[in-house]
Amino acid sequence: MTQPFTTRLILIACQALLALFVLLPFFWMLSVSLKPPTEPFAIPARLWPQDPTFANYVEAFRPEFRTYFLNSLIVSGASVAITVTLGLLAAYSFSRTQLTIITALMAGVVLAQMFPHSAIIIPIYKLMREAELLNTHLSLIIAYVSVTLPVAIWMLRGFLLKLPISLEEAAAIDGAGPVRIFWQVVVPLARPGIIATAVYVLIVTWQEFLFALSFTSTREMRTLPVGLNDFIGQYGIRYGELMASSVMVSVPVIAVFFFLQRYFVAGLTAGAVKG
Amino acid sequence: MLRSDRWLIWLFLAPSLLLLGVFLYYPMIGTVIESFYDTSFISPDPRFVGTAVYEKVFASRDFPSVVWNSVVWTVGVVLLQNLLGFATALLLNEKLPFRGLTRALVLMPFVLPGVVTAILWRFMYDPQLGLINSLMIRLGALDDNAAWLASPDTAMAAVIFVAVWKGFPFSMLIYLAALQNVDKSQIEAATLDGAGPWRRLIDVTIPAIKDVVLVNIVLTLILTFNYFDIVWVMTRGGPRDATHIFPTKIFETGFGQFRFGEAATYGVVSIAVLALLVALYVLVQVSANKRRALA
Repeated sequence: MTQPFTTRLILIACQALLALFVLLPFFWMLSVSLKPPTEPFAIPARLWPQDPTFANYVEAFRPEFRTYFLNSLIVSGASVAITVTLGLLAAYSFSRTQLTIITALMAGVVLAQMFPHSAIIIPIYKLMREAELLNTHLSLIIAYVSVTLPVAIWMLRGFLLKLPISLEEAAAIDGAGPVRIFWQVVVPLARPGIIATAVYVLIVTWQEFLFALSFTSTREMRTLPVGLNDFIGQYGIRYGELMASSVMVSVPVIAVFFFLQRYFVAGLTAGAVKG
Repeated sequence: MLRSDRWLIWLFLAPSLLLLGVFLYYPMIGTVIESFYDTSFISPDPRFVGTAVYEKVFASRDFPSVVWNSVVWTVGVVLLQNLLGFATALLLNEKLPFRGLTRALVLMPFVLPGVVTAILWRFMYDPQLGLINSLMIRLGALDDNAAWLASPDTAMAAVIFVAVWKGFPFSMLIYLAALQNVDKSQIEAATLDGAGPWRRLIDVTIPAIKDVVLVNIVLTLILTFNYFDIVWVMTRGGPRDATHIFPTKIFETGFGQFRFGEAATYGVVSIAVLALLVALYVLVQVSANKRRALA
């Protein structure tokens, strides 16, 4: 279908406006992170840095920040690995049987996605306190695995349902046991689903704030979002550093997302559109 | 996995079910139990008080304002996010130069961590140093610096705007996928019948994706009602409680004031609201499946 020239022009203008709306805050974050200490205080605010410098990045990469970064890496990394593993096992069971009780359990898993974290955090907090796990990596990993697992199971089940069962049957006829079939047939075929789920868990856990804020009490255990939130009080006036830290927190997860976007979008929309 | 391996099914399921039971389902019930007990900073031992905490919470001045704020917040974000998401999906479904690049860039706010989003926009809203006032004054849309987050009249709108900025790419993604599944021959047939773009949208496209629209709206409703980080980092529920919604109120009451009983009571009310929304979701899904089965 060909459009009249003016319609096309209007659409292109809308696209440009959209890009501006989305990118302007990102641009400003970058710009301020490159400004020398006094420039963010220029009134009115200037979009471009006049004297660009990387000093803020060097300044922001202080020992505390490195600790937060390491904590986030440990907690997110472990959560991704555990959630994907447990989720794949559960999703496989859910996708290969139609027992009534299993279907009912699947409904329970889908329902659990929607529990409000703020409404259940007090009992979880008390559980962690009794187990003496507060202010440890493990308390966050357990909480993150629990809250991301329902969506992970749901996403992976969608992928596994689409795999042809005939390959597994063929492997069984060749004498492969169920564990070998799972490991050598199912896991390689499910790789796109595994990647999509891993990206999802990474996005959620890298930015998780409520559990991290409630469970950690010392600087040694803080993750990036909580550490960054503390920066507002401590270094509130040093906007350049604050923005430089923000860029460093965002870059890893945005980079991963852009490399693996294809898988993630396919995984998400397959479930949402087909219902 | 073949039918005979039933033991393996349970072995594979066990760790997940155990975790969900202990860390999601048990806490869900735990919150209800907690709401019948009273604790405070002064008397930390839980005391059974029946519905006394509910009476106290319902009678407090904060409760109606939290309910009202939650309604404004949830309806505002869901409506704007879905409208903008849908409009963007329509736009990026057209054959335009740089469409692929724009699609990728539009997803960036969705991946930007919530706390970073909140800090960045807090700074954008800063009355003197922020970009928003500076741009608006230069464009002539504003006469003098406005304190967006510090004034109870504008704080909620300002926070909603940020949530929509971060959330609309997600809605767009799902609408775009739905639009790409719309039968193109139907649109061509409508065009031959003389339908303009507006008529095609109303008569062909929207009916074709109605189910996705409904599911998308209910899903964002649930997610938005439970939002915590953006509101907390930007305003802490202020100024003068103008932006306190259920999650921020629960956190402040529980972990700021150690009034676990009252926090749990707010939690139970939010679970009740959510149960309603989930029932709506199930209803929408079931009727969508039925329609699909008939089609």
